[in-house]
Amino acid sequence: MMPSVPRPPRRRRSRSWRRLLVAIHRDVGYSVAALTIVYAVSGIAVNHMHDWNPNYKLARESRRFDPVETSGRDTIVAALVERLDLPGPPVNSFRRSPEKIELFYDGWSISADAASGTAIVERPRERLLLRDFNFLHLNHAKGIWTWLADVYALALLALAVSGVVILRGPQGLAGRGKWFLLGGALVPLVILLFLRYL
Amino acid sequence: MRLSVLLCTSFVFATVLALPAVGGEATTYGEGLTGSETVKLSELRADPDAYLGKTVRVEGLVLDVCPKRGCWIELAGDEEFQSIRVKVEDGVIVFPPEAKGRKAIAEGLFTKRELTEEQAVAWQKHQAEERGLEFDPSSVDGPLTIYMIMGTGAIIH
Repeated sequence: MMPSVPRPPRRRRSRSWRRLLVAIHRDVGYSVAALTIVYAVSGIAVNHMHDWNPNYKLARESRRFDPVETSGRDTIVAALVERLDLPGPPVNSFRRSPEKIELFYDGWSISADAASGTAIVERPRERLLLRDFNFLHLNHAKGIWTWLADVYALALLALAVSGVVILRGPQGLAGRGKWFLLGGALVPLVILLFLRYL
Repeated sequence: MRLSVLLCTSFVFATVLALPAVGGEATTYGEGLTGSETVKLSELRADPDAYLGKTVRVEGLVLDVCPKRGCWIELAGDEEFQSIRVKVEDGVIVFPPEAKGRKAIAEGLFTKRELTEEQAVAWQKHQAEERGLEFDPSSVDGPLTIYMIMGTGAIIH
């Protein structure tokens, strides 16, 4: 018969379990901090997509020129290149109507009204960092990034669970922590109740 | 410590691997192309009812892109003065503004929307607001019928 190994006291077992939890929370927290900032900043940016373009700035410049007689597309394009002092013929062009024409250059474009002599030059510019943040957050990379984003989500889950149970005493879940936990859970529940189910 | 190193290495590795998908000559959006019938815009315009409710493929120059959400592109027709909008689900497919002036092939369901004069005013007002332009309601002179493709995928060269 094997001699029975004495089990460590309950308090010691609990302490070593908490030590592991703290280590997981700390190291996972450090690991996902950068990506959490990326997702948070991008999240705010794309939440307001209806009010702005979170990826690009569209610089628009109004220009005036001596009206061009509406004729064939090539004639109008040649006249606009000269009158608007454009850097040579456009890569592409298209007439929307007899007097409205679009000229496309590499990375920018012009919408002109040949009859009224007005034009709008539009140049899109990527928003610094935000474009990259959104690219990752909205998973436009796809492929392996999808799996990495899943790992990140699991890491956040681990952070949430370990964060809830990590502290003991009056600051922990048994103390004031439960009220914060309840409050945090109630917010989405109330929103769901009023905006979806009632 | 080991866990942190493993996670950091994984993220960096994934980013490097994901990079080749970003560049390239042509970019695929959404489901890409599934092999539907290619239809000239002039044919769609000539007999729209024949194509309503069908999945069609169109090709053309990208004339415009939704300036805020990238949720539509406007494609030029094979003839002057003709264009069609390809609308995609917000956030699912996002077309970049630099797509303007490039050649695109898009697929989707050919649909028709009939707007009352009031709806037409609201529609045109929204279009002007998206571009940051002034809108004159008197420029709308009655009900409007809009043909549109509810896009499922596209390739932009």
